Amino acid sequence: MQSKLIMETRHIQHLYWRAGFGISPKDLNNLIGKSRDEIVEDLFYESRRPVPIDIDHSEFRNLNIQHLLEDKVELRKVKEQMKLKLVDLNLAWIERLSNPKGLLREKMTLFWANHFVCRENMSMYAEQYNNTLRENALGNLRSFTKAVSREPAMIKYLNLKNNRRKRPNENFARELMELFLLGNHHYTEKDIKQSARAFTGYDFDFLGEFKFRRMLHDFGRKTFFGRKGMFSGDEIIDIILVEKQCARFICEKIYTYFVKEDLNQNHIEQMVKVFYPNYDIEKLMRFVFMSNWFYEEENIGTKIKSPIEFLVGIHNVVPLKFTNAKQLLGIQKMLGQILLYPPNVSGWQGGKGWIDSNTILLRLRLPSILLSNAMIPLRGSNDFYDKFYTVGRSKRTMNPFKVETNWKQFSANFEDVAIETMQNYLFQGNINTGTENLLNKIRKTSKSDFCVQLMSVPEYQMC
Amino acid sequence: MKRRDFVKNTALASSMFMVPNFIRAFDDVLRKSIGYKRLVIIHLDGGNDGLNTLIPFRNDIYYRNRPKLAISKKEVLKLTDEVGFHNSLQPLKKLYDQGNLCILNNVGYPNPDRSHFRSTDIWQTASSSSQYLPTGWVGRYLDKFGDNTYNAIEIGDSLSLTLKGKNKNGIATTDAQRLFRTSQSPYFKEVLNQYQSDHLSEHNLGYLYKTMISAESSAKYIYETSKTFNTKQSYPNTAFSKQLKTTAKFINSGIDTKVFYTSLAGFDTHAGQAGQHSRLLKQYAEGIDSFVNDLQDNNTFNDTLILTFSEFGRRVEQNAANGTDHGAANNVFIIGKNLKTQGLYNRPDNLKDLDANGDIKFEIDFRTIYATVLSKWLNAADEEVLNHNFQKLDFI
Repeated sequence: MQSKLIMETRHIQHLYWRAGFGISPKDLNNLIGKSRDEIVEDLFYESRRPVPIDIDHSEFRNLNIQHLLEDKVELRKVKEQMKLKLVDLNLAWIERLSNPKGLLREKMTLFWANHFVCRENMSMYAEQYNNTLRENALGNLRSFTKAVSREPAMIKYLNLKNNRRKRPNENFARELMELFLLGNHHYTEKDIKQSARAFTGYDFDFLGEFKFRRMLHDFGRKTFFGRKGMFSGDEIIDIILVEKQCARFICEKIYTYFVKEDLNQNHIEQMVKVFYPNYDIEKLMRFVFMSNWFYEEENIGTKIKSPIEFLVGIHNVVPLKFTNAKQLLGIQKMLGQILLYPPNVSGWQGGKGWIDSNTILLRLRLPSILLSNAMIPLRGSNDFYDKFYTVGRSKRTMNPFKVETNWKQFSANFEDVAIETMQNYLFQGNINTGTENLLNKIRKTSKSDFCVQLMSVPEYQMC
Repeated sequence: MKRRDFVKNTALASSMFMVPNFIRAFDDVLRKSIGYKRLVIIHLDGGNDGLNTLIPFRNDIYYRNRPKLAISKKEVLKLTDEVGFHNSLQPLKKLYDQGNLCILNNVGYPNPDRSHFRSTDIWQTASSSSQYLPTGWVGRYLDKFGDNTYNAIEIGDSLSLTLKGKNKNGIATTDAQRLFRTSQSPYFKEVLNQYQSDHLSEHNLGYLYKTMISAESSAKYIYETSKTFNTKQSYPNTAFSKQLKTTAKFINSGIDTKVFYTSLAGFDTHAGQAGQHSRLLKQYAEGIDSFVNDLQDNNTFNDTLILTFSEFGRRVEQNAANGTDHGAANNVFIIGKNLKTQGLYNRPDNLKDLDANGDIKFEIDFRTIYATVLSKWLNAADEEVLNHNFQKLDFI
């Protein structure tokens, strides 16, 4: 059987870039000689149990809620404090991605966070939402969607809280179909109006527990997708999932994110067959990672890294610790992706959308700023350049960031790698001929210098 | 030295002085004579309280709804028998008196969204409230009519959605010299010099190289053009004024940029509004004052139009914390020379007929303002940018 064949090194790297954030030469060494079957299975096994993110919310959980709800000034204060906590959650999430407990599950959580897009100021609800994504990331789309519809963060974000029997709000019902399950043009305005009625009465308490308010729910008959009944919100989701288009919509999104932007309808059809009608996400992902087409040359190294993939990827080569953690937030902002702060309910567009004049310059500069005091070594290619060059002339402006770099770990990871072959570990795809010539010409005296040089060309932006 | 190495090294050395042809092409554009209309956009970030900016001092409803926040008739800088400015806006009153200011009232869009992010999104992309567009309206203008990245500049650290198009983007900078230095590392120069265009067409990697090349040449162009001008005008020492000072320096240097984007944040005044709002309006007005003087002194005011907006106005009724909550329609300021409508474009809302939230209903769709600016000021086919034929207004 083909899957029992030893997996090609390049394919392992590809798998680890798409299912994770790259793989170090050392970890890669431990996988060489294994079959695709074993390696893919390992990924799933390691992710079998969700480990929730848990930042300290005790100060909020122990509040006298009854008292708080009566004291508007105090409530406002608590809300402001929780907004500040959102920064902690952002950092905790990045920390998790950098040191994952279940790599694939974390990558899937990141994917779903840009699918079931939600933006929530109160850190307690945002964390709960994030953990719901994590818990369901490899689960079943049906229960996943139902869980999302009951989340305080979503109930707030898409106005389910204002969706009442006498005054329905269509926001959630519309996005449920347009952005979460079906895509535009696969439903009517009437379907939206009718299904909005089914999601009335959704509410939650201060601690984030879902509350169904019967008094506000519309128990009446609804006509939805040609069916008539006293549908509940859950039943609306069930009816939508009967549509094969739902499976196709999700498969296309997964293909775009994990395989390539250019959809191959034949591959999509194969995926839909696996996904429909049971909507088992794990089964679908296993199918994708086991498919021969996943490893086709045209898919390898052709995706532009998202800012988070880029940052976590650097960390996986040279472990980094921001001693002023909020600077990490600033970097995310400048790169155009602050976790937990999606631009709107349709999420980040990704791909070329990440790249403009400012972000490309920053991306090319950032490895040297973080790793070598803003200096990109340029020696060896020409005697004239046989010294370090810096961007800013004055030393104090060189590195605005407070970072601790663990080059020792880098050295250990790259111990068995010959300096001439380092690019095989840092680049996934094609290299521009000119750049390749340049890299060949550079005199390679130190692995750490060459690492920064490799990270400072556009090829490093690809995965 | 071995002969082979010698050849290699000289080839390398000479290539460092060779600029790829397509970068040269940019240089030619620079030499084109310029002197055309420019647009400066100012975003009052957070939702400016339009009612305490332009005060309806004869309206009882206003005073009833804002027992602690209303601005008394005697504090107002009167413009007409009905409305006047907040007293922090003295410089704006001057512009009003000179006929260089047009105020559009009750500007908004149908089904207003009261989330900052979403409503900013709507203003930046010129979408309807049920539409999600991945590109900004200035970005789409660049897509259709832009030649270079530097045709639209945001004075900031990163590029906002407004300036992002499908195929073209603007560029953001707070400091032309710093941007230039960032782009001028010797290592990047080497990469660009060595670079061969065989992969230019290649999907994503080619796009990265293309963007890198245009970033490098834009940074260089912006720095080298703008450094020819020395600012004589003095500006207040605020971050916002610094943005305007940079903008004026760019404009006065004759840079080939049609749209500038700036913002002033802090308008989300839910609590204790009075002091903060007053300070912000002062920063805004004093910045504008220096900016307009700077442009006038350099004969560039005639060709500059300043558009000030906020993502929404605020609720008519004040809240318990002496602040105001998110509202809907708001006023928009247009500043420029030879305006077709000077002063009030339309009357402010009489506050008798508010929406279900107690907010001002919109009368002018903000996209009709964009359409007007695009077609009458930037000479662009507005419909191609806005994907809809919006009515054109009469202020320019």
